[in-house]
Amino acid sequence: MTRTRQLAALWALAVCLLLGHNAYLWLVQRIVPDTDIMALLPVQERDPVLQASFAHMVDAAQQRVIVLVGAEDWTDAKRAADAYQAVLGTRSDLFTAAAIDEQTQNDWLSVFQQHRLTLLTAEQEAQLRTQPAQYWLDAALAKLYSPFGGPKLGSWQEDPFGLFGGWVQERAQETPVRPRDGHLFVADAHKQYVLLPLTLKVPALSMTAQETVLPLLQQAADASRKTAPNVELIEAGVILHAANASAQASGEVSTIGIGSLLGIIALMWFAFHSFKPISLILLSIGVGFLGALSVCWLLFGQIHLMTLVFGASLIGVAQDYGIYFLCNRLAAGEQLDSPALLRRLMPGLCFTLLAAVIGYMGLALTPFPGLRQMAVFSALGLVFAWLTVVCWFPALIGSRTLKSGALVRGYGAALRAWPLLRFNRATLVAVMVFAVAAAYGVSRLGANDDIRLLQNPPKHLIADQIKLSKLLDAPTPVQYFLVRAPSAEQVLQREEQLKARLDPLIAAKQISGYQAMSNWVPSAATQAARRALIEQKLLGSDGPLQGLAHETGEDAAWIAATRAGLLASAAPLAMDDFLKTPASEPWRHLWLGQIDGGYASIVALRGLGMAAVPQVMRAADGVQGVQWVDKVAEISSVLGRYRVNMSWVVLGAYAVVFVLLFPRYRGRTWRVLAPTAIASIAALAILGFASQNLQLFHVLALMLLLGVGVDYGIFMQEHPDRRDHTPWLAVGMSAANTILSFGLLGLSHTPALQAFGLTMLLGTALVWLIVPCFGTTTSSESKHV
Amino acid sequence: MNASKMIRAALAVAALVMTTFPAQAAVQVSKIQAMLAKPAIMCGRFDQTKTLAGMKKPLASNGRFCVVAGKGVLWRTLKPFPSTMRLTRDEIVNYQGDRVAMRLDAKTEPTVRMINNVLFSLLSGDLAQLESLFEVDGTVDASSWNVSLKAKQAALDKAIGTIKLEGGAYVKNIVMSENSGDRTNIVFSDIKTGESALTAEEAALF
Repeated sequence: MTRTRQLAALWALAVCLLLGHNAYLWLVQRIVPDTDIMALLPVQERDPVLQASFAHMVDAAQQRVIVLVGAEDWTDAKRAADAYQAVLGTRSDLFTAAAIDEQTQNDWLSVFQQHRLTLLTAEQEAQLRTQPAQYWLDAALAKLYSPFGGPKLGSWQEDPFGLFGGWVQERAQETPVRPRDGHLFVADAHKQYVLLPLTLKVPALSMTAQETVLPLLQQAADASRKTAPNVELIEAGVILHAANASAQASGEVSTIGIGSLLGIIALMWFAFHSFKPISLILLSIGVGFLGALSVCWLLFGQIHLMTLVFGASLIGVAQDYGIYFLCNRLAAGEQLDSPALLRRLMPGLCFTLLAAVIGYMGLALTPFPGLRQMAVFSALGLVFAWLTVVCWFPALIGSRTLKSGALVRGYGAALRAWPLLRFNRATLVAVMVFAVAAAYGVSRLGANDDIRLLQNPPKHLIADQIKLSKLLDAPTPVQYFLVRAPSAEQVLQREEQLKARLDPLIAAKQISGYQAMSNWVPSAATQAARRALIEQKLLGSDGPLQGLAHETGEDAAWIAATRAGLLASAAPLAMDDFLKTPASEPWRHLWLGQIDGGYASIVALRGLGMAAVPQVMRAADGVQGVQWVDKVAEISSVLGRYRVNMSWVVLGAYAVVFVLLFPRYRGRTWRVLAPTAIASIAALAILGFASQNLQLFHVLALMLLLGVGVDYGIFMQEHPDRRDHTPWLAVGMSAANTILSFGLLGLSHTPALQAFGLTMLLGTALVWLIVPCFGTTTSSESKHV
Repeated sequence: MNASKMIRAALAVAALVMTTFPAQAAVQVSKIQAMLAKPAIMCGRFDQTKTLAGMKKPLASNGRFCVVAGKGVLWRTLKPFPSTMRLTRDEIVNYQGDRVAMRLDAKTEPTVRMINNVLFSLLSGDLAQLESLFEVDGTVDASSWNVSLKAKQAALDKAIGTIKLEGGAYVKNIVMSENSGDRTNIVFSDIKTGESALTAEEAALF
């Protein structure tokens, strides 16, 4: 008795510490759950360059919010955009708007102008090789006499053959965005848009950003619509997706959590006719939740919102220990005091905890940091809830506290009518029928490892995204080529080899273009070759320059001066010089520079459709140091690999649990595990009949089902006597609650959570229904007192 | 990023268009508008003299031009080298003989449509767009006027320099002085209006 008291006091101290730490976390430190969906994805540890390239592409994209304000009339679009910007201007602490600086615009050409003789488009280079001198003479003369012969940069003499003008024009076409009247302008056949590129000053994935930025954007949109009622607003940015995901998750936390709680309270009331058990169970779950949160925070330094969502379902399992104790208390005679009862229940309680923790630890074996955190959170929650039951329940519940109701008696009586499996013909037939049906169902299961299972953005966000990428013709940040070489020069050369292979794909309309640093700074080798080519084809004696002088009546001095002027602009353009200019700002993220003992860069593709990917990715074949990077496919392949691996882990866990339980249950061990195994197979078969595709999250649910289902097996085998309704009651209450909590998870709009919930729903219900069938007919041990 | 180059081209176009419908300062708009004949079709002869930095002799050329409301502009240099420029709603094309020497498509170069919007609004007598880009200054008397245009935006100003126009019922003369030192002077004459102004060859080009 004193030992019970001591234990209870000790645990009270621990719980006080937990409460203190939690109060500190929430009230002093004011922690916010992490909502970054990417944090749930595996970290790629094996290739730092690949990782850096992805960080470059994503960092460039993540903090950006792009708004397009469109109207049929440019003046309307401008007015609406000004109204939009005026609202944003009130919070300059949140955004930096890209300034359209006249000076920058004007100056950005000057760096190229100094090196213009080495800057040619691929087409110009080919023409220089193939076209006769007359062609260039004609081109120069036409340009000379035309009042507006194409883009003109500087005086005619600085670019007599229009080569530099052509190159600049090609560069301009890397983006359809143009400055116009101090705004950025883009258009399609119907509307004219003002482009507002915004950069967030607060982290896009932080809760604060979402809480302050989104209402501001809404306010700006309202102001804009008020100014021009027909305005079309297109908004895109990671923050919009993140905000949507967290709103969805928060909503689901409350639905699942509250639903689960209400279910438990109702069940408890019917079973025990008292609020004391309910409050005790809630106490154990509460301690479990707070304990898990505290320790997780200490371990990980942050907590993910998805962990809390998943943690909400913890209620379903954490209650088992309390329920098991209470059901036995209800059934035990008054002469048996609670500490003695606990001692008798200890083996079963220990095994249920162990099996559940093993189940959750299977999740921790995945490479997903988010899942690992969920697993640790859940396992810790169970341990804390279990300790609360073990330390406090005997002290708090006397032998006379609980009375049972009519519902419990009726439910208990149902056990007598339950079929019991015996080794006979009927059983054999049932097994055969089940085997055939299950095999057929399971064989119908497809597989789906799409990353979109993790997130389900609403249609309007996707529609805006699609429209925006069509208008801006921007490259995707998740599919690109990664180019590596020992030196910067070689990186550029390899880029050029790759681009030569991509050009036919542009001609075939598989992609609309590419962005690469070598578009701006060709390799030194290419620059030298071009200079030589121009000298030979255009500037030589008897060449087009000579002809031009002849046609215009100029003398040898003029030729010499023009030639010297052109050659003065033939110094090679170096990457470092380009990177220092404001002109390189939109492209700097493509250049990884010196990294991991070499150099690396990114070649991004514009207008790449899903259908073209298989062909486009092959462009890198055979070009040394060039690698196709597809983050979407990669995540999908990771999901797929872990679906397969986790399936083996599940099978392994069955073996481990079997070995663990064998010393206690011996020949009956299979009876503990069989209901769960059969329920798992049946759940899979049902999913197969429903034409579902198997994904990682179904398998993870099977892992958890093992943890839960084994509890029921243990409860039943701890009390093999069929006249004892106690375990049957514990199983029923626990399973009903698990179904309530996980069934609600099945209502989630996130496909992954839905799959998880559905599997748990089917599996738990099936375990509940078949677990009595595996009871033994004769009772040999642990008789009911 | 670098629209400046296309805007320069746009302004070259705008400058050409001003040869038919020049822009005016607020006070002068109505006067010049009233003076201009606004035919649906107008063709004529141009004589262009270019003085280029670093070249001793001015370069003279001549040819025909046509402006067709709702369609676009045709600029045909006949001497010393035949070359044709056609500006329509969706593209700007330069032919040297039958060969296309340059083509700007509105699909890939959005400013093409913008240039042509400026062009068409000018042709319809809507000078608001031009005035949004330029400071217009000049004088008007009973039968003639002359104005000078200066781009409001510094980058544009640097790219195109100043444009001077003079005319009466039609534009007679345009002078473009670039900051690089290159200077272009175009004189218009022999202007005809109506369907008959277009030759069959020119009509086929539209």
